[in-house]
Amino acid sequence: MVSQEPARAWSPHSLIHTRRGIFITGTSILGGGVKAPRIRTKNLLSIVFCEVVAIYGVITSIILSSKVSAINGDALHSGNNYFAAFAIFWSGVLVGMCNLVCGISVGINGSSAALADAADPSLFVKILIIEIFSSVLGLFGLIIGLLLSSAAGDFSAIS
Amino acid sequence: MADSDLTPKFAPFLGMAGIAFAMIFGCIGAAYGTAKSGIGIAGVGVFRGDLIMKASSTHPLHPSTSTQSSPANTPLQSLIPVVMSGILAVYALVVSVLIAGNLKPPPQEHYSLFNGCIHLACGLSVGLTGMAAGYSIGVVGDSGVRAYMQQSRIFVGMVLILIFGEVLGLYG
Repeated sequence: MVSQEPARAWSPHSLIHTRRGIFITGTSILGGGVKAPRIRTKNLLSIVFCEVVAIYGVITSIILSSKVSAINGDALHSGNNYFAAFAIFWSGVLVGMCNLVCGISVGINGSSAALADAADPSLFVKILIIEIFSSVLGLFGLIIGLLLSSAAGDFSAIS
Repeated sequence: MADSDLTPKFAPFLGMAGIAFAMIFGCIGAAYGTAKSGIGIAGVGVFRGDLIMKASSTHPLHPSTSTQSSPANTPLQSLIPVVMSGILAVYALVVSVLIAGNLKPPPQEHYSLFNGCIHLACGLSVGLTGMAAGYSIGVVGDSGVRAYMQQSRIFVGMVLILIFGEVLGLYG
Protein backbone atom coordinates (compact mmCIF):
# COMPACT_ATOMS: atom_id res chain seq x y z
CA MET A 1 0.00 0.00 0.00
CA VAL A 2 1.54 3.26 -1.10
CA SER A 3 1.10 5.00 2.22
CA GLN A 4 3.11 2.36 4.03
CA GLU A 5 6.01 1.91 1.67
CA PRO A 6 7.97 4.97 2.69
CA ALA A 7 7.91 4.07 6.32
CA ARG A 8 10.57 1.41 6.09
CA ALA A 9 13.37 2.98 4.16
CA TRP A 10 15.44 5.17 6.40
CA SER A 11 16.33 4.00 9.88
CA PRO A 12 19.01 1.57 8.69
CA HIS A 13 20.93 4.45 7.10
CA SER A 14 21.74 6.40 10.19
CA LEU A 15 22.47 3.26 12.15
CA ILE A 16 24.84 1.86 9.54
CA HIS A 17 26.99 4.89 9.62
CA THR A 18 26.83 5.28 13.34
CA ARG A 19 28.39 1.86 13.38
CA ARG A 20 31.02 3.02 10.93
CA GLY A 21 31.76 6.15 12.93
CA ILE A 22 32.10 4.13 16.11
CA PHE A 23 34.33 1.68 14.25
CA ILE A 24 36.68 4.40 13.02
CA THR A 25 36.90 6.08 16.40
CA GLY A 26 37.06 2.87 18.37
CA THR A 27 40.03 1.46 16.53
CA SER A 28 41.96 4.65 17.12
CA ILE A 29 41.11 4.73 20.79
CA LEU A 30 42.18 1.12 21.14
CA GLY A 31 45.38 1.69 19.19
CA GLY A 32 46.30 4.84 21.03
CA GLY A 33 45.37 3.23 24.31
CA VAL A 34 48.17 0.72 23.98
CA LYS A 35 50.80 3.37 24.54
CA ALA A 36 48.70 5.84 26.53
CA PRO A 37 45.99 4.04 28.47
CA ARG A 38 44.84 7.26 30.09
CA ILE A 39 42.98 8.23 26.92
CA ARG A 40 40.36 5.52 27.35
CA THR A 41 37.71 7.29 29.33
CA LYS A 42 37.86 10.80 27.92
CA ASN A 43 37.68 9.56 24.37
CA LEU A 44 34.54 7.62 25.00
CA LEU A 45 32.98 11.05 24.58
CA SER A 46 33.68 10.74 20.86
CA ILE A 47 31.81 7.45 20.82
CA VAL A 48 28.92 9.18 22.52
CA PHE A 49 28.83 11.77 19.74
CA CYS A 50 28.45 8.94 17.24
CA GLU A 51 25.71 7.36 19.30
CA VAL A 52 23.79 10.63 19.34
CA VAL A 53 23.51 10.33 15.58
CA ALA A 54 21.82 6.95 15.95
CA ILE A 55 19.42 8.45 18.44
CA TYR A 56 18.44 11.10 15.90
CA GLY A 57 17.54 8.27 13.55
CA VAL A 58 15.47 6.54 16.20
CA ILE A 59 13.62 9.73 17.06
CA THR A 60 12.78 10.33 13.43
CA SER A 61 11.64 6.74 12.94
CA ILE A 62 9.32 6.97 15.88
CA ILE A 63 7.82 10.25 14.76
CA LEU A 64 7.36 9.10 11.18
CA SER A 65 5.96 5.71 12.10
CA SER A 66 3.32 7.39 14.20
CA LYS A 67 2.17 9.17 11.06
CA VAL A 68 1.74 6.03 8.98
CA SER A 69 -1.76 4.62 9.03
CA ALA A 70 -3.80 2.31 6.83
CA ILE A 71 -6.12 3.97 4.36
CA ASN A 72 -8.61 2.12 2.20
CA GLY A 73 -10.65 2.94 -0.82
CA ASP A 74 -10.63 6.00 -3.01
CA ALA A 75 -8.83 8.11 -0.47
CA LEU A 76 -5.71 6.06 -1.11
CA HIS A 77 -4.93 8.17 -4.13
CA SER A 78 -5.92 11.59 -2.94
CA GLY A 79 -3.46 14.44 -3.32
CA ASN A 80 -3.29 14.99 0.40
CA ASN A 81 -2.30 11.40 1.10
CA TYR A 82 0.28 11.42 -1.65
CA PHE A 83 1.77 14.57 -0.16
CA ALA A 84 1.95 13.00 3.28
CA ALA A 85 3.52 9.82 1.92
CA PHE A 86 6.16 11.75 -0.04
CA ALA A 87 6.95 13.85 3.01
CA ILE A 88 7.46 10.77 5.16
CA PHE A 89 9.72 9.19 2.54
CA TRP A 90 11.88 12.20 1.92
CA SER A 91 12.20 13.25 5.50
CA GLY A 92 13.35 9.74 6.32
CA VAL A 93 15.89 9.64 3.53
CA LEU A 94 17.10 13.11 4.46
CA VAL A 95 17.65 12.34 8.13
CA GLY A 96 19.22 8.99 7.31
CA MET A 97 21.70 10.25 4.76
CA CYS A 98 22.65 13.39 6.71
CA ASN A 99 23.33 11.37 9.83
CA LEU A 100 25.22 8.89 7.68
CA VAL A 101 27.80 11.45 6.60
CA CYS A 102 27.76 13.11 9.99
CA GLY A 103 28.61 9.79 11.63
CA ILE A 104 31.60 9.24 9.39
CA SER A 105 32.83 12.78 9.95
CA VAL A 106 32.46 12.54 13.72
CA GLY A 107 34.28 9.21 13.61
CA ILE A 108 37.24 10.60 11.69
CA ASN A 109 37.50 13.62 13.96
CA GLY A 110 37.13 11.44 17.02
CA SER A 111 39.94 9.21 15.89
CA SER A 112 42.25 12.16 15.32
CA ALA A 113 41.20 13.51 18.73
CA ALA A 114 42.14 10.21 20.35
CA LEU A 115 45.55 10.12 18.70
CA ALA A 116 46.23 13.78 19.48
CA ASP A 117 45.16 13.18 23.06
CA ALA A 118 47.58 10.29 23.32
CA ALA A 119 50.39 12.59 22.23
CA ASP A 120 49.42 15.63 24.29
CA PRO A 121 46.55 15.77 26.80
CA SER A 122 45.86 19.47 26.38
CA LEU A 123 44.82 18.95 22.79
CA PHE A 124 41.72 16.91 23.48
CA VAL A 125 39.41 19.82 24.22
CA LYS A 126 40.60 21.72 21.16
CA ILE A 127 39.98 18.86 18.78
CA LEU A 128 36.64 18.30 20.51
CA ILE A 129 35.53 21.68 19.19
CA ILE A 130 36.05 20.38 15.66
CA GLU A 131 34.03 17.29 16.54
CA ILE A 132 31.19 19.45 17.77
CA PHE A 133 31.12 21.20 14.38
CA SER A 134 30.78 17.78 12.78
CA SER A 135 27.96 16.62 15.00
CA VAL A 136 26.01 19.78 14.31
CA LEU A 137 25.51 18.45 10.77
CA GLY A 138 23.39 15.59 12.07
CA LEU A 139 21.36 18.06 14.07
CA PHE A 140 20.67 20.13 10.96
CA GLY A 141 19.47 17.00 9.20
CA LEU A 142 17.15 16.20 12.07
CA ILE A 143 15.73 19.72 12.10
CA ILE A 144 14.92 19.72 8.40
CA GLY A 145 13.55 16.18 8.58
CA LEU A 146 11.18 17.16 11.36
CA LEU A 147 10.23 20.34 9.52
CA LEU A 148 9.34 18.34 6.45
CA SER A 149 7.42 15.67 8.31
CA SER A 150 5.42 18.27 10.21
CA ALA A 151 4.46 19.85 6.90
CA ALA A 152 2.95 16.52 5.94
CA GLY A 153 0.00 16.49 8.24
CA ASP A 154 -1.90 13.28 8.69
CA PHE A 155 -3.29 10.71 6.33
CA SER A 156 -6.98 11.35 5.89
CA ALA A 157 -9.61 8.84 4.95
CA ILE A 158 -11.51 11.55 3.11
CA SER A 159 -10.43 12.10 -0.47
CA MET B 1 -10.14 15.48 -6.23
CA ALA B 2 -9.65 17.12 -9.56
CA ASP B 3 -6.21 18.20 -10.58
CA SER B 4 -5.08 19.65 -13.86
CA ASP B 5 -2.19 18.42 -15.92
CA LEU B 6 -0.05 21.20 -14.52
CA THR B 7 -0.49 20.23 -10.87
CA PRO B 8 -0.07 16.47 -10.83
CA LYS B 9 -0.06 14.62 -7.57
CA PHE B 10 3.57 13.61 -7.82
CA ALA B 11 4.78 17.22 -8.07
CA PRO B 12 5.51 17.48 -4.31
CA PHE B 13 7.82 14.46 -4.71
CA LEU B 14 10.17 16.62 -6.76
CA GLY B 15 9.95 19.56 -4.41
CA MET B 16 10.74 17.44 -1.40
CA ALA B 17 13.53 15.78 -3.32
CA GLY B 18 14.98 19.25 -3.75
CA ILE B 19 14.91 19.83 -0.01
CA ALA B 20 16.47 16.46 0.66
CA PHE B 21 19.22 16.80 -1.92
CA ALA B 22 20.09 20.31 -0.75
CA MET B 23 20.58 19.14 2.80
CA ILE B 24 22.21 15.80 1.99
CA PHE B 25 24.80 17.08 -0.45
CA GLY B 26 25.46 20.16 1.66
CA CYS B 27 26.12 17.91 4.63
CA ILE B 28 28.39 15.68 2.57
CA GLY B 29 30.47 18.70 1.61
CA ALA B 30 30.54 20.08 5.13
CA ALA B 31 31.39 16.68 6.58
CA TYR B 32 34.26 16.14 4.16
CA GLY B 33 35.63 19.62 4.82
CA THR B 34 35.42 19.23 8.58
CA ALA B 35 36.90 15.75 8.62
CA LYS B 36 39.78 16.44 6.27
CA SER B 37 40.70 19.76 7.91
CA GLY B 38 40.30 18.15 11.32
CA ILE B 39 42.86 15.53 10.46
CA GLY B 40 45.30 18.25 9.46
CA ILE B 41 44.59 20.37 12.52
CA ALA B 42 45.00 17.46 14.90
CA GLY B 43 48.24 16.50 13.22
CA VAL B 44 49.57 20.03 13.50
CA GLY B 45 48.41 20.33 17.08
CA VAL B 46 50.65 17.52 18.18
CA PHE B 47 53.70 19.54 17.16
CA ARG B 48 52.50 23.14 17.56
CA GLY B 49 49.60 23.24 19.98
CA ASP B 50 49.73 27.03 20.12
CA LEU B 51 48.49 27.25 16.55
CA ILE B 52 45.12 25.81 17.40
CA MET B 53 44.39 27.99 20.35
CA LYS B 54 46.16 30.33 22.69
CA ALA B 55 47.71 29.37 26.03
CA SER B 56 49.71 26.33 25.18
CA SER B 57 53.06 27.97 24.39
CA THR B 58 54.25 27.33 27.94
CA HIS B 59 53.63 23.58 27.70
CA PRO B 60 56.77 21.59 28.58
CA LEU B 61 56.56 19.41 25.48
CA HIS B 62 56.73 22.33 23.11
CA PRO B 63 60.00 24.09 22.40
CA SER B 64 59.75 27.84 22.69
CA THR B 65 58.58 28.90 19.26
CA SER B 66 57.09 32.18 20.33
CA THR B 67 59.46 34.11 18.09
CA GLN B 68 57.82 32.71 14.99
CA SER B 69 54.20 33.65 15.61
CA SER B 70 52.85 36.22 17.99
CA PRO B 71 50.53 34.62 20.55
CA ALA B 72 48.07 37.48 20.25
CA ASN B 73 47.24 36.46 16.66
CA THR B 74 47.05 32.72 17.06
CA PRO B 75 43.79 32.03 18.90
CA LEU B 76 41.47 29.80 16.87
CA GLN B 77 43.30 30.57 13.63
CA SER B 78 43.55 26.98 12.53
CA LEU B 79 39.85 26.41 13.05
CA ILE B 80 38.97 28.63 10.09
CA PRO B 81 38.58 25.72 7.59
CA VAL B 82 36.27 23.94 10.04
CA VAL B 83 34.09 26.99 10.55
CA MET B 84 33.87 27.56 6.80
CA SER B 85 32.72 23.98 6.29
CA GLY B 86 30.04 24.48 8.88
CA ILE B 87 28.84 27.54 7.01
CA LEU B 88 28.21 25.37 3.95
CA ALA B 89 25.75 23.29 5.95
CA VAL B 90 24.05 26.51 7.01
CA TYR B 91 23.64 27.55 3.36
CA ALA B 92 21.92 24.24 2.69
CA LEU B 93 19.78 24.65 5.80
CA VAL B 94 18.59 28.09 4.74
CA VAL B 95 17.63 26.94 1.26
CA SER B 96 15.85 23.86 2.65
CA VAL B 97 13.79 25.98 4.99
CA LEU B 98 12.90 28.37 2.17
CA ILE B 99 11.71 25.56 -0.05
CA ALA B 100 9.83 23.84 2.77
CA GLY B 101 7.99 27.06 3.46
CA ASN B 102 6.38 26.82 0.04
CA LEU B 103 5.29 23.21 0.36
CA LYS B 104 1.78 22.66 1.58
CA PRO B 105 -0.74 19.85 1.00
CA PRO B 106 -3.25 20.17 -1.85
CA PRO B 107 -6.23 21.74 -0.12
CA GLN B 108 -4.16 24.74 0.85
CA GLU B 109 -1.90 25.13 -2.13
CA HIS B 110 -1.94 23.77 -5.63
CA TYR B 111 1.64 22.73 -6.14
CA SER B 112 2.40 22.73 -9.82
CA LEU B 113 4.94 20.63 -11.65
CA PHE B 114 6.74 23.85 -12.49
CA ASN B 115 7.18 24.58 -8.78
CA GLY B 116 8.37 21.06 -8.20
CA CYS B 117 11.00 21.19 -10.90
CA ILE B 118 12.23 24.58 -9.81
CA HIS B 119 12.58 23.48 -6.21
CA LEU B 120 14.38 20.34 -7.29
CA ALA B 121 16.82 22.32 -9.39
CA CYS B 122 17.33 24.82 -6.61
CA GLY B 123 18.04 22.10 -4.08
CA LEU B 124 20.42 20.29 -6.37
CA SER B 125 22.30 23.46 -7.21
CA VAL B 126 22.91 24.49 -3.62
CA GLY B 127 23.62 20.93 -2.55
CA LEU B 128 26.07 19.99 -5.26
CA THR B 129 27.93 23.29 -5.13
CA GLY B 130 28.11 22.89 -1.37
CA MET B 131 29.61 19.45 -1.87
CA ALA B 132 32.20 20.85 -4.27
CA ALA B 133 33.02 23.72 -1.93
CA GLY B 134 33.34 21.36 1.00
CA TYR B 135 35.72 19.14 -0.91
CA SER B 136 37.92 22.08 -1.83
CA ILE B 137 37.85 23.52 1.70
CA GLY B 138 38.83 20.13 3.07
CA VAL B 139 41.79 19.66 0.80
CA VAL B 140 43.01 23.25 1.14
CA GLY B 141 42.41 23.31 4.88
CA ASP B 142 44.36 20.13 5.44
CA SER B 143 47.42 21.08 3.41
CA GLY B 144 47.18 24.75 4.38
CA VAL B 145 47.25 24.02 8.10
CA ARG B 146 50.20 21.71 7.68
CA ALA B 147 52.06 24.41 5.72
CA TYR B 148 51.08 27.01 8.30
CA MET B 149 52.83 24.96 10.93
CA GLN B 150 56.10 25.42 9.12
CA GLN B 151 55.68 28.91 7.75
CA SER B 152 53.32 31.23 9.52
CA ARG B 153 53.32 33.82 6.76
CA ILE B 154 51.38 31.46 4.58
CA PHE B 155 48.28 32.05 6.67
CA VAL B 156 46.91 34.89 4.57
CA GLY B 157 47.34 32.89 1.39
CA MET B 158 45.56 29.91 2.92
CA VAL B 159 42.61 32.03 4.01
CA LEU B 160 42.33 33.59 0.56
CA ILE B 161 42.19 30.20 -1.10
CA LEU B 162 39.62 29.04 1.46
CA ILE B 163 37.47 32.05 0.74
CA PHE B 164 37.53 31.30 -2.97
CA GLY B 165 36.41 27.78 -2.21
CA GLU B 166 33.64 28.98 0.08
CA VAL B 167 32.37 31.29 -2.62
CA LEU B 168 31.51 28.25 -4.73
CA GLY B 169 28.95 27.32 -2.15
CA LEU B 170 27.70 30.88 -1.97
CA TYR B 171 27.16 31.00 -5.73
CA GLY B 172 25.04 27.90 -5.41
